[in-house]
Amino acid sequence: MNIHRALAITRRIFRGLRRDRRTVALMFLAPIVAMCVFGLAFSGDVEDVKVVVVNLDAGFTHPELNVPVSFSQAIVSNFDKEVLKVDPVADVEEGVRLVREGSAYAVIIFPERFSESLYMKSQNPSYSGDTTIQVREDRSNVNVANAITKSVSDAILKTAQDVGQDLPMKVDAEDAIYGKGAKFMDFFVPGIMAFVVFMLTTLLTLISFVGERTSGNLERLQSTPLRESELVVGYAIAFSIIGMLQTVVLLVIGVAAFDIMIVGNIVLAFAVIALLAIVSLSLGILLSSLAKREAQAIQFFPLIVLPTFLLAGIFWPVEAIPGWLRPLSYAIPPSYAVDATRSVMLRGWGIGEIWIDIVALCGFAGAFLIVAILSLKRGRR
Amino acid sequence: MQTFAVEVKGLTKKFGSFTALDNLNLNIALGTVYGLLGPNGAGKTTAIKILCGLLRPNGGEGYVLGKKVPNRSILPEIGYMPQETALYLDLTVHGNMALYGDLFGLSRSRIAERESELLDFVALQKWKDSLVSNLSGGMKHRVSLACSMIHEPKLLFLDEPTVGVDPELRAAFWEYFDLLKKKGVTIVLTTHYMDEAQHCDRIALLRQGQLLAEGTPGDVIKSAGATNLEEAFLALAKREDGRS
Ligand SMILES: Nc1ncnc2c1ncn2[C@@H]1O[C@H](COP(=O)(O)OP(=O)(O)O)[C@@H](O)[C@H]1O
Ligand SMILES: [Mg+2]
Repeated sequence: MNIHRALAITRRIFRGLRRDRRTVALMFLAPIVAMCVFGLAFSGDVEDVKVVVVNLDAGFTHPELNVPVSFSQAIVSNFDKEVLKVDPVADVEEGVRLVREGSAYAVIIFPERFSESLYMKSQNPSYSGDTTIQVREDRSNVNVANAITKSVSDAILKTAQDVGQDLPMKVDAEDAIYGKGAKFMDFFVPGIMAFVVFMLTTLLTLISFVGERTSGNLERLQSTPLRESELVVGYAIAFSIIGMLQTVVLLVIGVAAFDIMIVGNIVLAFAVIALLAIVSLSLGILLSSLAKREAQAIQFFPLIVLPTFLLAGIFWPVEAIPGWLRPLSYAIPPSYAVDATRSVMLRGWGIGEIWIDIVALCGFAGAFLIVAILSLKRGRR
Repeated sequence: MQTFAVEVKGLTKKFGSFTALDNLNLNIALGTVYGLLGPNGAGKTTAIKILCGLLRPNGGEGYVLGKKVPNRSILPEIGYMPQETALYLDLTVHGNMALYGDLFGLSRSRIAERESELLDFVALQKWKDSLVSNLSGGMKHRVSLACSMIHEPKLLFLDEPTVGVDPELRAAFWEYFDLLKKKGVTIVLTTHYMDEAQHCDRIALLRQGQLLAEGTPGDVIKSAGATNLEEAFLALAKREDGRS
């Protein structure tokens, strides 16, 4: 192993990139676009959902305070305005029609004498008036429907609190142990970082090595004192640097545009990403030995991206993946990088806590590197 | 004392059931220009790749500079110019040459010296900082030749070095090969232009992986009872077919 020869390979990769604006643009714009598009689209926060309210409750005059009171209006005013865009309609038929024709996602119906019944019930639990708020949703979009239901429940709790009718028990999830005040983006950025580096490194080495093979450059290299291991290490150095640069770009944008949370040692996150880049480039080299032409190489690509996209815990946690699929999650290297970077950035974990991920990634990197080097040597049959 | 740059004994190479080289025997003396001749598919490239350690023979053995191939220890001493252009298109001429200079462990200043000498020879000095992708086919070919000589190898394997090179430059190439020979460099080259082989000290005529004839160009022509190599090849091929 001669590091000068490995570095000569690294240098040639960077020299080539200096002239290849398109590839450089792909390397750095693709991650940004991916982060912004996926980040905004999947941000998980449902907003601006149109609902209509049919309020048959006219309110009543509070017998003790002697003032007009409407609990239904209080609840409506407690709806989360970010989530629900509320329009009043006159009757149930009209409301149902609007949902049916797709103009609204739900009709929320307050029964007649709702306020009065509510008051009476609070005085006398056996009172039989109707206090049910009917929420008739368009559940064809489950996420939206769930957001509506939650918003209505939250408004009820808040209203009860406002009028001093608090439940005798409650949940307080404010004081989080990790990720206090975390938003979807905080969860998402470490995932997309790992995903982007994995995907682009695999793709670029795959294309690059198919080129090395078909152009005859690989054979020329193999006729020099350069060893296969030096060639691969040269690539590894180049692509870990590129991976870390991509990470820097993503983090800068994450902090500047999405105000993401970084509580841990960011250097550790870089190290994890560099390891992942090494795993990915070995995979790229391996795949290149299966492809005769660039076009064939591209066909492998969905095979790599799709499972990673779905199973690596980028958009949803591994716990949300059906149990029988979970072993697959543990079989793909990016899962460990996603877990490790997320733990470092959000939980502030150090090497002492993420060592399992590091060991797994080192294992993948070592094994893949060796197989990649062997696959190059096998060319000399 | 080692007298042969290359010795080949019973070399055989099969790709699956196809025999690309069939029991080839050759001796190439140090300090000579040796031509492997034959039509496309004769096995010239296969033979060179085996000698450069890029392919393993299925039978027989090849010795390069006294070492049985494949052997890493000869790699610093040999230069290989592949048949394909085999250059990095996204690098400049300088970038390509510097890469190979680095891989052979040359110092910065040595690379600069060699680069300048070689670019003078292939007449590409003013293209030094051009991207290889912007060069014509013939120019790429010359860069490729220059790259394989950056480290002043003792033994050069050139696979079709004169293909697509215009006649004037081709003449210059042969002059340069003579110059290298005078410095003691051994050159093993392939070509399918029979007329060019007159410049070689000795030639081997290959056909379908088999050796048809070997010797100085004059000997080969005489033994076939022909007036030039082209005729000699056709006559020998016919004789061979009649025999089998
Ligand atoms: N990797 C390979 N796999 C299968 N066949 C091959 C391979 N390389 C060369 N051949 C075949 O071996 C024969 C000799 O090839 P080659 O040595 O390139 O001939 P030449 O250089 O004389 O034109 C050809 O018929 C070619 O198709
Ligand atoms: Mg050939």
